[in-house]
Amino acid sequence: MRPLTLRRLVLQCSILVVILFVVVVIALKFGAVPVSLYALGRDLLRVVFGQSSQISSDYGLIVVNIRLPRILLGIIVGASLSVAGTSFQALLRNPLADPYVLGVSMGASLGSILALIVEPHLTISPLLAALLTPLGAFLGAAATITAVYFLGRREGQIDSATLLLGGVIISSFLSAIIMFLMNTLSGNLRGLSFWLMGDLSTPLHKSAYWFLGIGFLLATGAIYTTAADLNMLLAGEKEAMHLGVDVPRVRLVVYIAASLLTGLAVSVSGAIGYVGLIVPHAMRFIFGSDHRTLLPTAALCGAIALVFADTLARTVVAPTEVSVGAVTAVVGAPLFIYLLRRRFP
Amino acid sequence: MTLGGAIAALLSWTVATRAQSGSSISAASPTFREVTDEAGRTVRIPQPVRRIVSLAPSLTETVYALGLQDHLVGDTDYCDYPPDAQKKTKVGGGINPSLEEIVSLHPDLVLVTKKFNRLETVHALETLGISSYATDPHTVDEIITSSKKLADVLGAPEAGASIAEVMQQHLSNLQEHIGALPPKRVLFIVWTQPLISVGKGTFIADALRRAGAVSVVDSEQDWPQVSLEEVARLQPDFLVLADSHSDSASPAVEVLATLPGWGIVDAVGNRRFAVISDAVNRPAPRIVSAIEDLARQLHPDAFVEKPKSSNERIEKENPPPGQRPASHDSYSPDALEGYLTIPGGQACAH
Repeated sequence: MRPLTLRRLVLQCSILVVILFVVVVIALKFGAVPVSLYALGRDLLRVVFGQSSQISSDYGLIVVNIRLPRILLGIIVGASLSVAGTSFQALLRNPLADPYVLGVSMGASLGSILALIVEPHLTISPLLAALLTPLGAFLGAAATITAVYFLGRREGQIDSATLLLGGVIISSFLSAIIMFLMNTLSGNLRGLSFWLMGDLSTPLHKSAYWFLGIGFLLATGAIYTTAADLNMLLAGEKEAMHLGVDVPRVRLVVYIAASLLTGLAVSVSGAIGYVGLIVPHAMRFIFGSDHRTLLPTAALCGAIALVFADTLARTVVAPTEVSVGAVTAVVGAPLFIYLLRRRFP
Repeated sequence: MTLGGAIAALLSWTVATRAQSGSSISAASPTFREVTDEAGRTVRIPQPVRRIVSLAPSLTETVYALGLQDHLVGDTDYCDYPPDAQKKTKVGGGINPSLEEIVSLHPDLVLVTKKFNRLETVHALETLGISSYATDPHTVDEIITSSKKLADVLGAPEAGASIAEVMQQHLSNLQEHIGALPPKRVLFIVWTQPLISVGKGTFIADALRRAGAVSVVDSEQDWPQVSLEEVARLQPDFLVLADSHSDSASPAVEVLATLPGWGIVDAVGNRRFAVISDAVNRPAPRIVSAIEDLARQLHPDAFVEKPKSSNERIEKENPPPGQRPASHDSYSPDALEGYLTIPGGQACAH
């Protein structure tokens, strides 16, 4: 492991920020309604010079009020899923772990749905009601990762194959419960089938972006404080303990923070798979497995990947939209199989 | 520029331009009218409504039936009736329409149904400053009042009144024929694999009642999945299928008869099928023609040529409105279909 310098970290992140900016511009330009690069550039310049009032309302509404919120959501969700995936992979010492494969996303989905079912029967303030879905998603995610963790443990050590199988079984069990709820409670849950596959198309209230952004920064910050410990965990839990790592504390912090990230992402966008699996791999391949580099670069690359996937989702058969979860699965599942074959020959 | 800085800049851009775009909309349409839609929302609708986007096939049909098709600027991929509706600008499906496409059409009003569109779509339109109006009919009578109310909202109350009158007239004439007959016990088939039927709270169940039939499935759920065993236990007199090509040789029925397991249903062995237009699936004025068609197939004896005196008696008791040609008293579903959709048919011919 090469020693980390601040200069190299800043350089690596700057490169990714530039790529993210380019992808955002592409995502702003392409969509069901054509917008010229000239109009886009002119409007961007006007924003920079504080003349936003001169932006033509025609494309302004589409680019600013539809595409931009969606891109913002893609950035936050993509980054959240990637950081959660990186954390799970480190903590479980399993490169195939990710919120989706482990069933954590499905747990968060079930939590959201239960919150949606319970909400009308509660007399609480609108603010609390709005927080109920992300809270349910967080609790669902946390409960699932706990269950998967205990399923995957054998004689004090985590067994990779058992862990993954446990995740798959729990995931299908949870999705069966979701199917049961959707079949028996027809009506308001019907639209959920679209959300379940992963969907970024619904603009949120402005405050929700702040809520998501702050939640992301807090959870990622908490995980980042354990980055050096995660590096030592790569050698094994016992070894890390001998090196002075407070493993139970790290485990608690990272599980809670990663569940929070998954819960927040799922509560607004459904279960989008494979972003949290593939992105950390790519970053580890390019920048090495030092978590102090891996966490921020995975966050940025996750944002890039999901914004790009969502741009594909809304343009390939425009104006009809494909679920973004379908796009990430089409790309991610073959990569998952490749990684699986390489790991278990 | 850092990521945080970029996001902050983009956010402030959002705020600034949202305020600006909001004002430009209200400047373009100064007068609004407040109405309560069928989802119970109070909605502000710009007046007059010149540009309409429909997010459901039934609403598209209703707009055409009201003769307002020239104001319809966009509809969904599934809006296929009348054929002219297929030529309108498409905004995607009803569940996942493209908001961009809707915005670019500059609609005064977006029409949605509470049952088939998503609440999220309505919220998103609200955020974008676009008015939407939701309908939610549960019975045939409510389809009539809903169409009438929609006509009023769209600024065509006369067209709404006359459509409502025609629909009422046809239904009450139908009642004259079959009202006294015992209803046939039917299974309405929404989907065959898996078998999905209709619950008692749907407008389709009510349409069956109007056609002199009663659904053997008595479910609180709107679209219950039913087992073949249950159907064999209930043994309906007729199976009712909706087909978009009801006039063709109904291949759907032949397929159904060959499906494994369906032999235990007597109605399959006896070929007791009624195939009607898929208009029955859409809460729009055309549903009346599907109801008439079904009634004719289930109760053919009630429709044999009556002596002239009997016809005259019916006309005396139910005088048709003056403007309506006498030919509409004949119980031809085609005649009603033609009447209700003349505007679309003409536009198509041009």
